[in-house]
Amino acid sequence: MTHQEFLDQVDAYALGALETPEARALEQHLAAEGPHPLCEAALARARETVATLAADLKPVSPSPSVWEGIARGIAQGQEPAPRTPASREPGTPPRERERVRAVRRVPAWTYGIAAAAVLTLVVSGLQVREARRAAALASSSASECARELADLRIDALRKEDALKLLVEAGTQLVSLKATPDAQGPLAQSSGVVIFNPRGRALFLGKSFPGQPTRDYELWLIRGGKPVAAGLLPTGPDGRVFADVRPELLTGGRPAAFAVSIEKKGGTDSPTQVILTGAVSAP
Amino acid sequence: MSPPAEDGTVLESVRRGDARALEELYRRHSSRLYALLLRMLRETADAEEILQETFIDAWRRVTEYAASRGSVEAWLITIARSRAIDRIRNRGARLRLVKQSEQLAPAEAPQPEPPDVHAQTRLRRALGTLPPEQRRALELAYWDGLSQSEISRETGDPLGTVKTRVRLGLQRLAELLAG
Repeated sequence: MTHQEFLDQVDAYALGALETPEARALEQHLAAEGPHPLCEAALARARETVATLAADLKPVSPSPSVWEGIARGIAQGQEPAPRTPASREPGTPPRERERVRAVRRVPAWTYGIAAAAVLTLVVSGLQVREARRAAALASSSASECARELADLRIDALRKEDALKLLVEAGTQLVSLKATPDAQGPLAQSSGVVIFNPRGRALFLGKSFPGQPTRDYELWLIRGGKPVAAGLLPTGPDGRVFADVRPELLTGGRPAAFAVSIEKKGGTDSPTQVILTGAVSAP
Repeated sequence: MSPPAEDGTVLESVRRGDARALEELYRRHSSRLYALLLRMLRETADAEEILQETFIDAWRRVTEYAASRGSVEAWLITIARSRAIDRIRNRGARLRLVKQSEQLAPAEAPQPEPPDVHAQTRLRRALGTLPPEQRRALELAYWDGLSQSEISRETGDPLGTVKTRVRLGLQRLAELLAG
């Protein structure tokens, strides 16, 4: 990207009106092609103008609970994170992939509290938003999973099934991160496996671009070898819900899960892996 | 009494891990951000949630802030809008919001604070001088979180035309507000 191309698009970028590949190209230009004061000045000006557009609004005081939630959030997160060379600007869609989380283990009781809160509210017919908020009070990690569940437009039985698995002892969340092979819209995809080593695993995914001529395929990696775990049916909104066949989980604890994109009908060995996530040790 | 520290100075304290400094930034900017989020999202719970996420995100990513790319307030607004746009897109209801935006008054303000009348006047005057189609393109992007491609589909105008309107509209606005 040239400086001029950057300058031509910087206003739309500051507005958040670029598509993901375009926005990424601008970010790469700023990050990798050396100092460019003109581009930075143009970005600053565009951002200030965008910020000014909100000047017409009457300021509104949020409820005190908002700051309380922030205080809890930063207490859990400890110190601000150090800068990383690959860090992204906070102004571009889709920011969802920044929410892809590393593999983590969460005490079972936190799942219990969070999922029970969610399950109770879902079953009682209250709004999903209320369920999210209740879950957030219990545990950030488990509630994030619960939130992903709530976001998925799956039927109530499947959702309930997933929530039950979430509260079982030994259940682990495995977040799947985009690999370098996940280019373009694929880079937005994310997934989480709710995995219980006693023989149950569910895959939840979102932002999976439609693939008219190819299929997404789930893999578990055991003993250094990929084991095909089935094709992933993608909804029209890019969301995925899949139940891993239990017999695949009886041959020992997998080291990781992965998603690849393959020819129609799948393959015996993954060719383009777009998401991976390691299973932590017992 | 010493004058209040500049946002940049407060942010430096945040960078060193001072949670009280973050609270100070929250005190300074939350009501404006919240009003913006209410207008974009039209739901109190969503607006509160995104406001929380904005400041937690700012805390975690404070080292990414670069003064050369805009003020602290612009940075916070960028984070907040970015997350709000994600939320709107996740709802899969952008077109519904567009239609609503044509019909509904701005979101109710539960506890309005005194507005910056001067800034409002300048902005309204500046917006009023934009050609209607430029203003419309900016509004669809700003309030409804539409991308340029989506604006093109929504309005039926060619994508190139929409891009030009967004670029010229924002640049014109910048000139008017600066002058």
